[in-house]
Parts: sequence; structure tokens; C-alpha cells
Amino acid sequence: MSRRSMEGGMRQSSFATALYSLLALVITLIFFFPLYWAISNSLRRPSETFTVAGLGVPFLDFTPTLDNWLAEIQVKEAYNAFTNSLIVSSVSTLLALLLGLPAAYALARFRFRTIPNKDLTVWFLSQRVLPPVATAVPFFFVFTTLGMQDSLISLILINATFILPFVVVIVRQTFQDLPIELEEAALVDGASHLRAFFRIAVPLAAPAIAASCLIMFAFAWNEYLFALILSLTEASVMPTHIAGGADTRGVQFWFVAVRSLIAMVPPVLLALIAQRYIVRGLTLGAVKG
Amino acid sequence: MRWSGKVGSLFLLPAVIWVLVFTIFPLGYSLYLSLHNVTSKVEVVGREEVPVLDADGNPVLKPNGEPRTRTEVIRELNRTFTWNDFANYGRAFRDGQVRDAAVFTGIFVVAGVVIEIVLGLVLAYLFNRPIIGRGLMRSIMILPIFATPIAIGYLFFTVFYEEGGPLQWTGLPWLSDPTMAKISVILVDIWQWTPFCFLVFLAALQGIPDEQIESARLDSNSNWDLWKTVILPALKPIIIIVGLLRLAEALKLFDIIATLTKGGPGTATQSYTYYAYTAGFKLQDYGYASALAFLLLIVVMVIVTFFFRFLRRTYE
Repeated sequence: MSRRSMEGGMRQSSFATALYSLLALVITLIFFFPLYWAISNSLRRPSETFTVAGLGVPFLDFTPTLDNWLAEIQVKEAYNAFTNSLIVSSVSTLLALLLGLPAAYALARFRFRTIPNKDLTVWFLSQRVLPPVATAVPFFFVFTTLGMQDSLISLILINATFILPFVVVIVRQTFQDLPIELEEAALVDGASHLRAFFRIAVPLAAPAIAASCLIMFAFAWNEYLFALILSLTEASVMPTHIAGGADTRGVQFWFVAVRSLIAMVPPVLLALIAQRYIVRGLTLGAVKG
Repeated sequence: MRWSGKVGSLFLLPAVIWVLVFTIFPLGYSLYLSLHNVTSKVEVVGREEVPVLDADGNPVLKPNGEPRTRTEVIRELNRTFTWNDFANYGRAFRDGQVRDAAVFTGIFVVAGVVIEIVLGLVLAYLFNRPIIGRGLMRSIMILPIFATPIAIGYLFFTVFYEEGGPLQWTGLPWLSDPTMAKISVILVDIWQWTPFCFLVFLAALQGIPDEQIESARLDSNSNWDLWKTVILPALKPIIIIVGLLRLAEALKLFDIIATLTKGGPGTATQSYTYYAYTAGFKLQDYGYASALAFLLLIVVMVIVTFFFRFLRRTYE
């Protein structure tokens, strides 16, 4: 990410560099602490959850054990939830891609008269910010009437809708930045628009497309409200599975820590890979990043 | 340079139809429900004799060789909608819980977003300096944004645990005191979304041309002058956009509440969305829940309109 003097014209002594670096490190560690605490918690025996001294450093403050992890991965429901989350997130990402990619291309390359491009783009992006609770009851009614409660299909359809704006906003900008001449040359040579789109634009935009997929996957993975409303047992996904870690006997912190970590790893890793496009995606294109 | 022609519409059409079906239709349906009394009744519509099966799925036989049967009652869920002259909306304005939830959500949103923006600016300033290990630290800062919110709620439930938790030394009633619990919820949001503000502001800072900064440096050597004359004016539109976007997003507060506090202690941290969810899906008062959701939608739409007014020119 380093580009033109990151320092913004600032010169500073090596002492100042050390001082600022230390400050940045302390802040980063504070932000990392809750995640660290979950890792530490997941390695403790249940009885040690709230008795470990100090910062709960494994080996130093307690003897770590993998028992919680081993117990959790033997639970059938955990497999079920993880697989369901994988299916829901990847299929809804694919679906959003299928719909959003041509739309992004259309908004970048064609001029629309009846409704100007700007307004079309705003319309696509606006539903990203709409409160999901506003559509919760209607979706619940429609899917229960169709006998589709507790089914992965309903979760896939809903998630695809929510993540669609990401592919539109991220890839539209990339298409726009590509030189149009390549596609025009292909059109002159007799290729159709569809062919120019698939053979030239899509391959050139591949990195942005991949990044938008990772971000969409992460958001679909983290979705909770609709999973809570629409899934009972069969279609349980990671978020509803974690929430089930608290039962009538109270919160089982050791399992909750393991489940939370298992749930968080995929979206967090994918986001790290797609770093370069996060700013553009999450600001709906306001900042190119 | 753009093409015209009908082909473009063909590229656009599938997505437009999809959004119409999955966003506009439910919103319209929601408006309809919000104007009605929704009652759900399970009715017995018939009885049926079905064979009894054993564990392997084979029919159980009577001594005389006939399959054993049992009577199964066939039920049907019937929902009736009766127009109620805006009664749901009237009720929403009189409902004390709605008021409390709206006030808490308002405080949460304003306090959270303001602190996130200020902290984000400070962090962006710090990370924009030459520091060691910037790449790695920046990556770590991204983690909270994408961590599963429902998991974050539990994470902080253990962090805020008052007996033996890592913050016990503070002696604060993190989750047991109504006011403190509200602050704790805001703290979690700050933890999750300050990194987002930071990331955006850092990208924006790096987008300011060096020449601008160099020439400002010639005029004055103070950092504050540099911020006042160059950096803040350059960041202003971005700060507004981030603020509006966070505002609209923060109003949806639900996941964290569902695991961290469950709206408690009492109803102290019941967010607006959480209350609407409870009304609909715990108390089966679907018409009322729809009215509550629609009121939130109106508030969000006002914010979103401002947001897109700022953004529209970037979509050329």
C-alpha cells in the first residue's frame, strides 16, 4: 500500500519514529485484545475461565489445553452449521456476482436516458443502508407460506440481495477505469457486447471482481437477523450456532470462545486478502482507497 | 465516452428485477402489514390416518398383520389482516418502550459515530507518519470490521465479565448497571467501527497531493496549521460521508445487543431494532413490528438521502 511518500511531507527524527511506532503498537494491541482474550479463553479448562491471573497468557498464567477445540469439532451441529454457512455464503456470492457483474458493466459503459446512471447507481446502493428489520416480517411471511422456513434457499436469496451493492460499486469503478478502446476494437472486429464483456472487460477486472467476492462472502457469512428468523435446526448457520452456545445453564464461555473464533476466521481472513478494496466497498465508492 | 443503445438495458435488467422483487416488494408488503392488525391462528383443517413406522422406517404391523395407524391432525396456519386506521402507528408513539429504545439508539448512534470519527482521524494521522510495522498493524486494525458481530457480542461478554474478567480491576459494573451497560455497548461499537473510519481517513490522507502539503509547509511549520488549512478541508466531504454512512448503519444495531446484553439490564440497552424484533418475532405482533420497522425506515431514508446527495457526483 505504500505509494508516493506516505509521510505526507513530514520529516521526523528516528527518536520520534520510535515513539510514534510504540504508540501505534499500543493502540493496535488494545484493539487486538478482545480477540486475544477469546483465543486465551478457548485454551483454558472450563474451571479456569475466570480464575486465571493477569493477562491470561498461555503457558505463563495457565497450562493451555486443546480440549475445548477437540470437543467442539466433534459436535455434529458444528459441522452442520459450518457447512451451511459455507453453502449459503458461497452460493449467495455467486448469485450476486451473476446479477451484479453485468449491472456494474452497464452502469460503467452505457448511458441510460430514462433514468440517469447516477440515479440507477444510487438506487442499487441505497438498499445496502436500508434497515433489514423493515423486510424481516414480509420475508418471514412469504417464506413460511411457501414452506421455505428452515431452508438454505431462503437464506441464499436474502443474502444475495443484501450483498449485491458491493459487487456493483466495486467493479463498476474498475470497469470505468479500464480503457474503453480495447472493447471498441473488439466491437469493430465484429464481436458482440456480450463477448467484449466476457472476453475483455471481465478478465481485466478480475482482481476487483475477486475482491468483491471475498467481501460479499464475509458479509453473507456474518448475517444474523434473517438466519435467526428463518432457520431452526436444519438450516442453522454459524451465527445462529454461536448464539446457541448459551443455553439454560448459562453461557458456556469455553465453547462460545471456540465457536466465535471458528466463525470469525473465514470472514476476517478473506477481508485481509481483499484489503485493497475494503475502503471502496464499505464507503459505497465514496473513497477509492 | 459511453455507449447508448438497448444492449445496456439487457445487462442491467436482471439485477433491476431482482432488487424490485427482493427489496421493493417486501417494503411495500411491510407498509401494508403496518396498517393492519395481523392475527395468526392455527386451525385444524382435517384428520388423517397414517401408518406408524419403526426406527428403520418400516411400517409397524398389528397382530393381525394389518399396518398399525395413528391419527394425525392436519393444522393450517391462517393469518388474517384487518385494517386498523393507523392504530399501530398511534400505539408506537404512545409506547414508552419505543421511546426508551429510540432514545438509547439515538444516544448510541450519535456518541458512537462522533467518537469513532474523532478517534479514526487521530489514528489515521498517527499511521500516516513514518512508523515501523505499519502494514502489519494496519492489517490487525481491519480485523474488528469483519469479525462476526454475533461473536463480538460474546467476546465482549467475557471481556466485561465482572467477576474474574480482564477488566475486573476497574471495579466498574460493566454490564450490570443500566447506564454503564449503555456505555459498554457504545464501547463495543467504537471497537468495531473506529478501524473503519481510520482506514477510510488514512486512504483519504494519502490521496492528498504532496505539493499541497509542501506548499502549506512553506507558510507555516506548525502541524495544527497544516491540518486547519489543508488536511481538514480536504477530508471534510469524506468525514461527512463516513458520518452519514455510519449513522445509517448504526441505527440497525441488533446483533451485538442480542448476545452482549439481550437488551438488559431490564430494558436499558434495548435498541430500536431489537425492540421491533421482539415485538414481531417474540410477541407475534407482526403488524406492530412492521409499523416500528417502517418508522425506522423513514429515519434512515432521510439520512440516506443526504448521504447520496453528497455521493451522487462520484457515480458519474
